Amino acid sequence: MIDSGQKMIPMLIVLGVLLVFVVAGLMYKAREQPGYGVSGSHAGCMGGGAAIASNWMSAASFLGIAGLIYLYGYAALAYVIGWTGGYVLLLVLLAGQLRRFGKYTAPDFIGERYDSPGARLLSAIISVAITLIYSVAQFKGIGIVFSWLLGINYTSGVILGASILMGYIILSGVLGVARSQQLQYFVLIVSFILPLMFLAYRLGYFWILPQFGYGKAMTDLALEFNINIAATPFRELGLFHWTALCFTLMLGTAGLPHVLSRFYTVSNIRDARWSVVWGLFFIALIYWSAPAYAIFGRLLEARAGMFLPPEIAHKMADIVVLRTALMGGLPEWLVGILAAGAVSASFFTVAGLLMTGAASVSYDIYYRLINPHASEGARMKLAKAATLVLALIVLCGALDPPGLIAEIAAVAFALAGNTIFPAFLLGIWWGGTNRQGVIAGMLSGVLITFSQPLFGGFVPVVNTIFPLTASALCGAPLVIFVMILVSRFTEPPPERIRRFLAEEVHGHLE
Amino acid sequence: MDSPEPYQVNLFRPRAGYMRGEVAVIFAALVGWSGATFGFQLLLTLLENSGRGDWLTGFSFFNLPFHYWFTAQMLPLWFIIICIIFNIRIDRLSEKQNRRREGNHD
Repeated sequence: MIDSGQKMIPMLIVLGVLLVFVVAGLMYKAREQPGYGVSGSHAGCMGGGAAIASNWMSAASFLGIAGLIYLYGYAALAYVIGWTGGYVLLLVLLAGQLRRFGKYTAPDFIGERYDSPGARLLSAIISVAITLIYSVAQFKGIGIVFSWLLGINYTSGVILGASILMGYIILSGVLGVARSQQLQYFVLIVSFILPLMFLAYRLGYFWILPQFGYGKAMTDLALEFNINIAATPFRELGLFHWTALCFTLMLGTAGLPHVLSRFYTVSNIRDARWSVVWGLFFIALIYWSAPAYAIFGRLLEARAGMFLPPEIAHKMADIVVLRTALMGGLPEWLVGILAAGAVSASFFTVAGLLMTGAASVSYDIYYRLINPHASEGARMKLAKAATLVLALIVLCGALDPPGLIAEIAAVAFALAGNTIFPAFLLGIWWGGTNRQGVIAGMLSGVLITFSQPLFGGFVPVVNTIFPLTASALCGAPLVIFVMILVSRFTEPPPERIRRFLAEEVHGHLE
Repeated sequence: MDSPEPYQVNLFRPRAGYMRGEVAVIFAALVGWSGATFGFQLLLTLLENSGRGDWLTGFSFFNLPFHYWFTAQMLPLWFIIICIIFNIRIDRLSEKQNRRREGNHD
């Protein structure tokens, strides 16, 4: 019953919620100015924060984190810290300066700062690759939820989910649905926390703040079944690997193109900085809560006498949030709300990512490099076609997902941390970085990210230094070193750019 | 080596004035960020390896073993605190700078 069979009421609620978002978007559009109003002209710090959080929250946050903690316990907290701590780096090192620079997409910034179509092209390709990998993780989330709700196999689930997603994207495109990211965040957080409170209440734990209430469940799990979730991983996994994973996720967070482009909705630098604080708080709300689902899930299973063998548990991990809700005896409509939250989190993320990726293909690659005379209409057509092609590529990748949702997403983070982040960091903080440096650096970053699958077989040391999901601890410093070295031995960037950097971005000249 | 470069931007050689103050705040934030995140895990490993693992894991806090609570709940909160302090310091720095500028104009 829990893992098979149709769950019709939750399924209908999922579809209903998606429909409500389309209708709400249409009503929103009627009130808004014409044009692509992302979240109104002036969102304010708190509103900007909600937009950052809603933009960030995806299947990896909604389903993936709990799945990892369910499997690995304390070790999985590397993801929680990595995905929150990255915002510190973003705020401290990039946010204000990026706002002053005035370019927000990765290809725009890199193309402009390094004055190089080549660097623009490379960063556009890397951004699209990050989008694709990240979306594969989301598609897995969508597929697993649909297959679980309808009691069909995963392949059918992911194809069905992808079709509904494309329908959603096309419908919103045709109707011109405006997205209210504040509303999205509100729905996501309520659909995540309300069922959790209910679950804690049912199990007899402190339900008003289940984020603290689950501690008792952890103790019970240890006492009754001798399952110690909090056991530290440093003996088996090693401190190095854990740190590398955590650090990689942090750099990736600060280098993810769709996170960096957020600063353009806020009106001034001060608001940009403060909205990051709000955004981090809203994101942390989810990450404080997610482990509770994992712990309750383990407890319910143990109490029901289910001790799943590791390979089955591994398969179940990504659905553990929904599974726990059902096992805990939550009413079906509430399970539906939770599932709707998970589906909409991945839908909004993928819709945003695919459209940005497609825009990048049509603008940065086609218009800027291949055909500068392309008309507006032709570029629009190309962007639409590219959305479809990208979605198909992602679907192919998701048919046989190579890992857990959060693990797949982590590869996208590693790529961002090894390429985009160093390019931004040096671009902002060292005037001497030039185009040769950044191109050499980003290319070596790509190579480092995929060095484990590429060279791991015959150069075993690569597996230790550059693990696929955790390559940026050693990788990013190496990339930065390459960028500095190459820049030193080639001519410095044009004076116009160095002057802009010194006077505008790091202004306040005495 | 003091380069005569007029438009130098270098995180490790900030120009006097606003940028120097800003970079000091940035480094302070980064120390707080890395120390709490990686320092704590290092401490945990060192204690574990010397057989004193229960110094940090043996007692509970908010119903959670202390080290788990610190990593899962305190660290995200700590990141928020760092961001707030950073923003307040930068706000103050900008205000000071603006005042100084206005002073120069008079």
